[in-house]
Amino acid sequence: MQEVHGYKLVYLDNAATSQKPASVLKALRDYYEGYNANVHRGVHALSAKATDEYELARKKVADFINSPSDRDVVFTRNASEAINLVAYTWGLTNLKEGDEIVLSVAEHHSNLVPWQLVSQKTGAVLRFVDLTSEETLDLEQLKGLLNERTKLVSTFHVSNVLGCINPIADIVEWAHAVGAKVLVDACQSVPHMAVDVQALGADFLVASSHKMCGPTGMGFLWGKSEILESMPPFLGGGEMIVDVFLDRSTYASPPSRFEAGTPAIGEAIGLGAAVDYLNRIGMDRIHEYEMELSKYLYESLSKIPSVKIYGPPAGSNGERRASLCAFNVEGIHATDLSTFLDQQHGIAVRSGHHCTQPLHRYLGINASARASLYFYNTTDEVDTFINGLKDTIDFFSAFK
Amino acid sequence: MSAMAMAMVSCPSSSCSLARGYLSTSEVHHQLCVTGLLLRRTTLPCRLVTHASVGIQQAQAVRGRDWGLGASASAAQVQETAEEELPSKLREVVQLFQGVAEQRARYQQLLYYGQKLAPLAKEFCTPENKVQGCVSQVWVVCKLRDDGRMYFEADSDSALTKGLAALLVEGLSGATPVEILKVSPTFMEKLGLQQSLTPSRSNGFLNMLRLMQKKTLEAYMGSTAAPSSSSPSPDAPEKEPEAIESKPKAESAEITTVKDSITSKLTERLSPVELEVEDVSHQHAGHAGAPRGSSETHFNVKVISEAFQGLSLVKRHRLIYGLLQEELQNGLHALSLITKTPAEVSDKP
Repeated sequence: MQEVHGYKLVYLDNAATSQKPASVLKALRDYYEGYNANVHRGVHALSAKATDEYELARKKVADFINSPSDRDVVFTRNASEAINLVAYTWGLTNLKEGDEIVLSVAEHHSNLVPWQLVSQKTGAVLRFVDLTSEETLDLEQLKGLLNERTKLVSTFHVSNVLGCINPIADIVEWAHAVGAKVLVDACQSVPHMAVDVQALGADFLVASSHKMCGPTGMGFLWGKSEILESMPPFLGGGEMIVDVFLDRSTYASPPSRFEAGTPAIGEAIGLGAAVDYLNRIGMDRIHEYEMELSKYLYESLSKIPSVKIYGPPAGSNGERRASLCAFNVEGIHATDLSTFLDQQHGIAVRSGHHCTQPLHRYLGINASARASLYFYNTTDEVDTFINGLKDTIDFFSAFK
Repeated sequence: MSAMAMAMVSCPSSSCSLARGYLSTSEVHHQLCVTGLLLRRTTLPCRLVTHASVGIQQAQAVRGRDWGLGASASAAQVQETAEEELPSKLREVVQLFQGVAEQRARYQQLLYYGQKLAPLAKEFCTPENKVQGCVSQVWVVCKLRDDGRMYFEADSDSALTKGLAALLVEGLSGATPVEILKVSPTFMEKLGLQQSLTPSRSNGFLNMLRLMQKKTLEAYMGSTAAPSSSSPSPDAPEKEPEAIESKPKAESAEITTVKDSITSKLTERLSPVELEVEDVSHQHAGHAGAPRGSSETHFNVKVISEAFQGLSLVKRHRLIYGLLQEELQNGLHALSLITKTPAEVSDKP
């Protein structure tokens, strides 16, 4: 049990990053202590074992998302890098002036800025889906934005602020009907529910290891085989080549083509261990529990007067929202709330714009506070949070 | 001005270049880099130790370094503690907080300070006065008065940050520029508010202090460097010498004026048939939104270009605003736009 400022730590910032189970730490340690060697390069025993474990981790991730092949999983530094990979390779070669990319006002900066850069370089146009009055994505508007010039729809599976869940399979159907591809930002979904890339039908999917009990410095891009095959290299260097001459080189097949240089070997193996850990619990079980938590958090928070929670209501079984709530208390700045909760109650929540400045501007606010849960949080911790929040509100209200 | 006055200047930007101090017997020539802005070479009658610092450790190590003459004098100064270096009012504030035993009561004290802080007029809530890297919004204004001392005002939308700002305003107002520049952030530990000393994006208190020190330095340099300088009178904001302005464009020949950069950007991106860019800031000086003493805040812009073909008026304006984001964030306040295609112009009788 960790203590923070003399209080028992209650960690409710899982949307930012998750805590790691002992098995993941052990996997990292075993690698570094037992068989630390570079992958794909040597024939000696250590290198062979490292390579095996590294590629096994890839297979574990591939199976975790039901990819048809492990060759379709590219290890990256994080989800942001994965999106940039698509933007700079697929994006720059396939997009031209007048082509349209459909995003939303609620995207994380990592699913906005790369497309802005691509748009500046190619002349492609960015279109944005707004929110409904319930603060979910306006799907009717999205459908209306799709036309023959649309080449890509890139959006979240689960919103890290609104907590709402997009019907990806439907969006894929509509997008494919006009000949557009779909990239899914699954950072807030892969850790919390079973995600099946074949059932979704998406063309690209990205996620981060560190949000799903894995180490930082690791994430992945999943793409359909034929699309990855058509993409030019991203970063150049060792590993992603076949033959290298002084003035030119030939490139490897995916996924190696997109993994230049020595990868984060230990971290990939750690991610594999995280996948094992989650599988031992069972993603369906995790999801069911989190739906309960989501409902409990939402309802408890709603009962506090002057609290405004962003995103849709929780649904009778907690199924309409992820287990997170971004909120504001009238008259009290989000930063004051989170500072006081931390200092006086040992509760970790996040305040700020959560990498969604456009969304906050759209909602007309400067900042929000966010409590985000994971399967290891409990309803007791939610109670502690609620009590702490009430105390915080009383404290600041006294100074009004 | 004491020839032996020593001040430490820290550059909060880790990317700024190291400044060197050169000593001659009675004066110092130096180039000072303050968060990447290059100021004029100035001659000051006191000795300044300058360096680019990101960490407190570095700062304290350099504090005692001797750059030239008078080795024995600086050795004594190395021993000064952070507290002795504080202006008297700030020292009082620190002692007050040290006297409060309970953490929660300290927060109450902080909020009380914040309550007492007079609100800042909207016209001062400009990007120049905004503390960068604060999770809440904080603005700081400073003034060097005729008595040679700095006076501050501040505001924030977050109660705790307002309290911290009030604390600094209370502690630093009425101090001399040199006293302010000597303040090391280590005093924050003594407040017992668990304020981190890490220079980072989310460290509002540190960034507030840095901004106040930066503005103090600019005001101080402006008042001593300009040949015909006199401290700006609080009643005549339009007449403030440009030296105090933090905008880089006034300082170096290589950096273009706002007018030049508007002209070049619009020319490059819109290939206009006709382009007129007129600075009408003088017509707006003094009203809300025009930072004191600046020019190049308001422009009339007329663009005739094929690029507007098929675009609604709103889209044309958005296009132009989109091209000038950088300028809009650096003091450009408003554009009065005329946007037409060549066909629309020739249609007029």
